[in-house]
Amino acid sequence: MMIAFIIKRFFWLLVTLWAVFTVSFILMRSVPGGPFDREKAVAPEIKRNLERRYNLDKPVLVQYGLELERVFLHGDLGHCMNIADASVNFVIRQGLPISAALGILAMTFAVSFGVLTGVVAAAMRGSPLDVGLRLAATAGIALPNFVVAGVCILLFVFWLSLLPAAGWGSLSQLVLPAFCLGAPYAAEVARISRTSMLDALSHDYIRTARAKGVSRTRVVLVHGLRNSLLPVVSFLGPAVAGILTGSLIVEQIFGIPGLGVYFVKSALQRDYTLSMGVVLLYTLVLYTMNFLVDLSYAYLDPRVELE
Amino acid sequence: MRLEGRSLFPWIAGAAILCSIGWALDRGQLPPADFTFVNGTEVKSLDPAIVTGQPENRMINALFEGLTRWNPETLDPEPGVAERWDVSDDLLTYTFHLRQDAKWSDGSPVTAHDFIYSMRRFLDPRTAAEYSYQAWYVKNAKKYSGGGRAVRPGDNVEVELNVDPNGVNSIRGAVIRGKLVRIEDKSGNELAGDALDTAAGDASLNIEDWTFVVATEAGEERFRYADDLSASRNEPAAGERHARQILLDLHDVGMRAIDDHTIEFTLENPTPYFLNLLGFYPLFPVQQQCVETFGSPQWTDVENIVCNGPFKPEFRRLRDRTRVVKNEHYWDRDNVKLNSVDFLAVESSTTALNLYLTGEVDWIYDVPAAALRTLLAERPARDDLNPKPMLNTYFYLLNVTRKPFDDVRVRKALSMAMDRTELTERLLGAGELPTYSLVPPGLPGYDPPQSPHENVKEAQRLLAEAGYPEGRGFPTIEILYNTHEGHQAIAQLIRKQWQNNLGIKVRTRNEEWATFNSSQRQLNYDVSRRGWIGDYADPNTFLDMFVTGGENNCTGWGNAEYDKLIAAAAVETDPAKRLDLLHQAETILMDEQPIIPFYNYVSKNMVKPNIRGFYNNIQDTHPLSALWIDAEEETPNPFMEGRK
Repeated sequence: MMIAFIIKRFFWLLVTLWAVFTVSFILMRSVPGGPFDREKAVAPEIKRNLERRYNLDKPVLVQYGLELERVFLHGDLGHCMNIADASVNFVIRQGLPISAALGILAMTFAVSFGVLTGVVAAAMRGSPLDVGLRLAATAGIALPNFVVAGVCILLFVFWLSLLPAAGWGSLSQLVLPAFCLGAPYAAEVARISRTSMLDALSHDYIRTARAKGVSRTRVVLVHGLRNSLLPVVSFLGPAVAGILTGSLIVEQIFGIPGLGVYFVKSALQRDYTLSMGVVLLYTLVLYTMNFLVDLSYAYLDPRVELE
Repeated sequence: MRLEGRSLFPWIAGAAILCSIGWALDRGQLPPADFTFVNGTEVKSLDPAIVTGQPENRMINALFEGLTRWNPETLDPEPGVAERWDVSDDLLTYTFHLRQDAKWSDGSPVTAHDFIYSMRRFLDPRTAAEYSYQAWYVKNAKKYSGGGRAVRPGDNVEVELNVDPNGVNSIRGAVIRGKLVRIEDKSGNELAGDALDTAAGDASLNIEDWTFVVATEAGEERFRYADDLSASRNEPAAGERHARQILLDLHDVGMRAIDDHTIEFTLENPTPYFLNLLGFYPLFPVQQQCVETFGSPQWTDVENIVCNGPFKPEFRRLRDRTRVVKNEHYWDRDNVKLNSVDFLAVESSTTALNLYLTGEVDWIYDVPAAALRTLLAERPARDDLNPKPMLNTYFYLLNVTRKPFDDVRVRKALSMAMDRTELTERLLGAGELPTYSLVPPGLPGYDPPQSPHENVKEAQRLLAEAGYPEGRGFPTIEILYNTHEGHQAIAQLIRKQWQNNLGIKVRTRNEEWATFNSSQRQLNYDVSRRGWIGDYADPNTFLDMFVTGGENNCTGWGNAEYDKLIAAAAVETDPAKRLDLLHQAETILMDEQPIIPFYNYVSKNMVKPNIRGFYNNIQDTHPLSALWIDAEEETPNPFMEGRK
């Protein structure tokens, strides 16, 4: 049952990757400008050799076949067209751990802070604290990353001189980026967990528990929380993928050598191989996260059956 | 089972968080380098032959050294690996005498053969060096780098044979020398004369379809281009052999090693800036043994690379930092004062400024425009900021193949109707100077000719004369720029000025970089922005761009007289006459005005006040080997000269 489920999902993963590969391949090659177009013209014989190195001199269908074979049979994403010293696999190996570490920290902050405020707000529904937290959550969702980051830098770097402005490597350099990256997700989690908590608290079994004399705290934290976590978990799947790859702005502002920047930059530079690599990576991460979320449903809620 | 799974959940999450913090801190804190600076984007490669761009320039200059090097203050060529040189009277032959103590970072000597190897590799079309034209001043170098499309019957050629496709990719195949007899096209007809020239220039024709007939020692042989892979899989056609490529015979290229420490270059034309070019990074040497042992690009890995400059790399973290340390084998090591330098790959100029202001870095080369105005207005004046003009012009291209730009009166009217002072003082404000010429001021012996200055009345008269009184009947025109807030602000301002002064309708359009370049090349625009940085300190680097059909012309403009003057200047041996010819050429350009220059860039360096050996210069080039730290700030700081 479980194994059949996993095999089925794996098959669809391959199909999804192939479809994404094909669509990206067509899109990349249909925008004007190529990877070796420069402001200063490149001599034709030189350009031909540059293109030949990446098989770009061959007919598009042949290119498609070669790329498909290399990526799916050999697991080799090819060589970057822009950073000539590095292969795409190498760029991902260097950047992914950093993006992942940053993303996990941001997510931890988002979930712990978000659930906490959501639960508090729900438990004290209608109180000034609830209104205040909801306002803060709305602001957190609405404010773009770079505004939050800018304010934080002014406050913590220039006025209070507590934290470094940018860079990667020490604990103090992690605080601001993880906070700025996690803030909008924390706000979203708070909103979701408040709603689902309110929903859970309105059920009959809660009233039964209260009637039995269970304390208010225990009702909220045990009976209510367990049942209100599912919507948060289902939000986590796409959120983790998004946080991993959507860290473009935070990475730029804080000079963090993660992967986020490549999602936009490789496409702008027409770095076909690198942008294909990061797009496939995103697909893989998104798919895996959704898969894990589905699996965790079954664990968290015994009523859910895998199919 | 289910219960266990559920109770395991928090533990797994906790472990993941700990792991990620561990990962994040894995790189650890390093002791700071002697000097840390922001180098912009991650460098494309550490291979001098294949890179272009400023971050690469700074990196390669630290790691390698050419025959000459530039004086950090004046940029005049000084002895580098060559300790002295002789120039023939006709200015065509340069003989360089290499110093005996020049060493690679592995301790082996740098010889004349290293330079020949590196130059050949640089010119080899298979290396695909985008900057190869920097070496085309050497006799026949251009022809060599043109490969099979550049050779003609009667030329001495070298045929490079295919190699094992699984071998090291930087090793050359065996070479057969001979004389090219003829080239046959797809259907076996001989290509000769104009037909050959046309075919060679047609990129849509595959060179693999041609047969090169070469008279070798073995008699007449027929060669055909083939990839290593296809050559190893397929037998050649009957009576033919596979060849990796066919080039002009290297012996006919104007360079040779006379002995281990003497090298001679013969040039196409007298080139007054040839000594400067040899100090420019694309022409720096690489070590054959290193390149051929590891292959390309693996030889540039920090563990493998062998270099000959003042520094060698210690580690490189992509888009993070590259640390270089002093090269103990460098011949001039006693004058290199910094023991380690960190290159930070930070792209955002705001982030760079934050790092600088919090004392994390010692030098940033760019400051965001808004912050620059505030910093310049500080009183007392800052002691670490001193913008100075550079060899760099910002201008608009006009597409003369489109109406109404085919009319010179319209082009002049547009130029005269803009207010450059408003642009430089109100909008830019870093001390940029308005300009009316393509070549920036500041080149010795050259006073650039001016296009007509602002004159709104005259502009309106010219427009009326061209048939558009008060802008009536004038089509809506569009200013194209690449996506960037600075370019956008300028385009909006020019648009406003043209609309107010000429009564014409103007739109703006932005495109991201790659699309923008392709639109420019295909003349798919009305008015388009361009900035041009001089490759070397000479007017020619700006002026030869606008010869008829020039690859970087992109305006559709051409003038036979202009072409003649540029060509004459290239062969003129008398420096004063040569500059005069270039001056005449620019006079034509400024009179016909296919371009509208507006201002010259200024450098925007911020350098910690305790750094010495850092000078403002027109190419904004600052060799790291010249820097030292005056911790007590006891000596005067030449960087701040001229700032009140």
